[in-house]
Amino acid sequence: MKSRITAVLALVVAAGALPYGLGSYTIHVVDIALIYALLAIGMGLAMGISGQINLAQVAFFGVGAYCVAILTTNNGYGFWAAAVLAVLATVVTGLLVGIPALRMQSHYLGIVTLGLALGFINWITNADISGGADGISGVPVPTLPGVDLSSEYLYYYLEAVVFGLGLVFGLFVVHTSLGRRLRAMRDDALAAGATGAEIPLLRMTAFVLASLYGGLAGILYAGLIRYVAPETFSLGNMFILLAMVIIGGRRSLVGCVVGAIGLTLVREWLSDFSTYAQLGYGAVVVLMVVFAPTGLAGVPARLRDLYRRRFGRTSDDRAELRPFTPYTPGPEPSQDGPLLQVAEVSKDFRGLRALDEVSLTVDAGEIRGIVGPNGSGKTTLFNVVSGFYRASAGTVRFAGADTTRARPYALSLAGVARTFQNLRLFGQLTVRENILVALDRTRTYTIWQYALWQPGVIRRERRLRGAAQSVLERYGLVDFAEAAPASLPYGIQRRIEIARAMATRPRLLLLDEPAAGLNGEEVQQLVRIVRSIRDSGTTVVLIEHNMGLVMSLCEKITVLSSGKVIAEGTPAEVVAAPEVIEAYLGDSDLSELGMSAPPSAERPSPAKEATS
Amino acid sequence: MQETLQTLVGGLSLGAVYALVALGFSLVYRTMGLVNFAHADIAMIGAYAASTFYLTAKLPFALAMVLSILITGAIGLVIERVLRPLENKDFDLMLIGTIGFGIVLQAVAILIWGTTGRAVPSPVRTAPLDILGVRVRTYDLLVMAVTALAVVGLGFFLARTKRGAAMQAVAMDHEAATAVGIDVGRSNALAFAIGAGLAALAGGLVGPMLYVDASLGGALGIKGFAAAMLGGFGSINGAVVGGILIGVLDSYTAGHFQGYSVLATFLVFTVAIMIRPMGIFGERTVSRA
Repeated sequence: MKSRITAVLALVVAAGALPYGLGSYTIHVVDIALIYALLAIGMGLAMGISGQINLAQVAFFGVGAYCVAILTTNNGYGFWAAAVLAVLATVVTGLLVGIPALRMQSHYLGIVTLGLALGFINWITNADISGGADGISGVPVPTLPGVDLSSEYLYYYLEAVVFGLGLVFGLFVVHTSLGRRLRAMRDDALAAGATGAEIPLLRMTAFVLASLYGGLAGILYAGLIRYVAPETFSLGNMFILLAMVIIGGRRSLVGCVVGAIGLTLVREWLSDFSTYAQLGYGAVVVLMVVFAPTGLAGVPARLRDLYRRRFGRTSDDRAELRPFTPYTPGPEPSQDGPLLQVAEVSKDFRGLRALDEVSLTVDAGEIRGIVGPNGSGKTTLFNVVSGFYRASAGTVRFAGADTTRARPYALSLAGVARTFQNLRLFGQLTVRENILVALDRTRTYTIWQYALWQPGVIRRERRLRGAAQSVLERYGLVDFAEAAPASLPYGIQRRIEIARAMATRPRLLLLDEPAAGLNGEEVQQLVRIVRSIRDSGTTVVLIEHNMGLVMSLCEKITVLSSGKVIAEGTPAEVVAAPEVIEAYLGDSDLSELGMSAPPSAERPSPAKEATS
Repeated sequence: MQETLQTLVGGLSLGAVYALVALGFSLVYRTMGLVNFAHADIAMIGAYAASTFYLTAKLPFALAMVLSILITGAIGLVIERVLRPLENKDFDLMLIGTIGFGIVLQAVAILIWGTTGRAVPSPVRTAPLDILGVRVRTYDLLVMAVTALAVVGLGFFLARTKRGAAMQAVAMDHEAATAVGIDVGRSNALAFAIGAGLAALAGGLVGPMLYVDASLGGALGIKGFAAAMLGGFGSINGAVVGGILIGVLDSYTAGHFQGYSVLATFLVFTVAIMIRPMGIFGERTVSRA
């Protein structure tokens, strides 16, 4: 920590002293590099942090620069007034460009944003107000009392301050609540929604952040060059910007900055061989994605990994999964009426009816088991209850309110949590961060604090970290707090999923095959954990194939087959029901084959088989 | 009426070229799930190569096209080989990798052919036909005919040949395809090469219609991508329909918005694709939790 502060201080001092050692041309290049660095931070926030493929960053840059140019030369505004309006205009553009992100992702979004950027270039090259292909010259020098900003040396300090604040703010966002949610969304949008993140708003936020940095860069560019023309905002420059972010490391803002400054300097240095330079950085981008996908920023970690592998690990050896500390039993749930009420819900996928008028009532304080053969609609039912699918017919009521059409985040905030059959942890976040995302119960609109009241963010952050530590301790995960989930054994990942779901402090916990892939000892631990969760006041519904587990854990079991409820009752009642035996063993098929009658209910054969 | 028809005809010929771009793009996408952003630049290289063989080496137009298709096919093989470690792993990284290749190809084009573009004369020198008062250039008819042939040929290849069927199998499930003994790597390489060949075909054909320079890829490519999206990613029929739609839209906005035609085209496209993100023939994929 101390060495880090010293390093930052040294960097600040070096940045302050830099102009004294540079010639007038070099300082110009440095000024340009800082502008690209700001642009790259915006790009990194959208692409690397939030996972939104935004190829319109250069258009945001252009909107900022052109707004300043047009407002100052055409409408007679002062530079700073124009700058404020330019920021607003860019953010509005960012919101508009971001709208498609609500409907599409990945390459679709890339093509749409690229198309819109092309449209912007087309507009500025042809419109009268933007001066056509000639651009606009004569942008006034920004005025600052006592400082002559026409000197590129002094302009450097203006830029350095804006850049420094921009970088600090960016890092602040990334490492606190908002950035964590953005990263969670990038890693797994579905799971992020299930832990309470409002995905549409977060996507728009990503574009607002990108456009904000783009606009600031544009304003600084207009003030520095005092001339804007379409070629600065070409697709070619868009791809150079992309190269900067990829080479530097898209997931690290510092990496983006290093990439931007480095590539600008190299580009200037090779300006006499610009085509070869283009060839070179194109090739470097290709090599980077194949051999070093995390960019330059990821190199130190890779080296450390390599070193550790070569010279034996010492630190991780003692990491172990500690025992689970039971919750203190909560008060008896005093709920009027059932907690979850599924009434005649059907779900169709094109021709296929996955759920067929399923009705189910779960009382508060229950542990309910849902069993059924593969493809009987169990997970579909969970998806309907947790808001991932919208029922084709019927209603779902949770705690008395109609939640048939509620979105996953709304259900999460209302108190529904779930785990996933095939593990959906946020892969690029540490275990601690996975828990922190779930602990954060604030709505997205509280991000106004980032703009206006940062101490509020810091205070909340401190509170969340304290809570995360106690969740990690309760689930025995402290040793793995800083590990990446994918590097951990399967059983531990399963436990992290439960811890993450419980971190949302739900009233209803949906567990989708929590014992899948666990060994006998781990299943016993799971039983203790689920019982303790129920005793703490959270109702549990679980899908499971492990019949032994279901039999010993659940007071009541619902059996699904081909999308229909075929039996419901205590474990003993359910295993005796002829419909259940038929669904599991296919009574008619067996008789066709000339085999004897199905085994009697006293021999719970499927259960035995699954437990072993 | 006359004017509308004329716009339509103009749109159809450009649309045929966009359809070819979209076709190659969709073929690669459906086979290996890769969005090839270098596709447009491959088309640009194809256009340059064809024009060089045709104008400088004075070869017949058809032969020039075949040669340029072979060259780009080879480029496609190289790209596929380099990016193979990422296949079926990280989608976004592959996408960025192909953008990197696009940057390289543009630089190569400038190194070989310089920054000044070239105009390619039409290889068909007959006067425009007059059908119902609408002027139709014979070259446009040729372009449409070649596109139609390419679509039919590709459809035949995918449906009726063993390699084509293997490619379809890889598209559906690459692991299952491996399990039944299909060499997924080779199948992908072939798909990529065919895709690149189609790009060269589009580039070569568009030469006499537009001006050939290093930025040709940008304009041609993004509209080709848009066409593929509008038709439905990965659908062969969709690529054709999407291409024609974008072509007609393009020619309509060029007539009505002149300088702002690109902006108008992409705004209309964005709205259309937001209404139906999976395109006309695309299938909505159900995200499974």
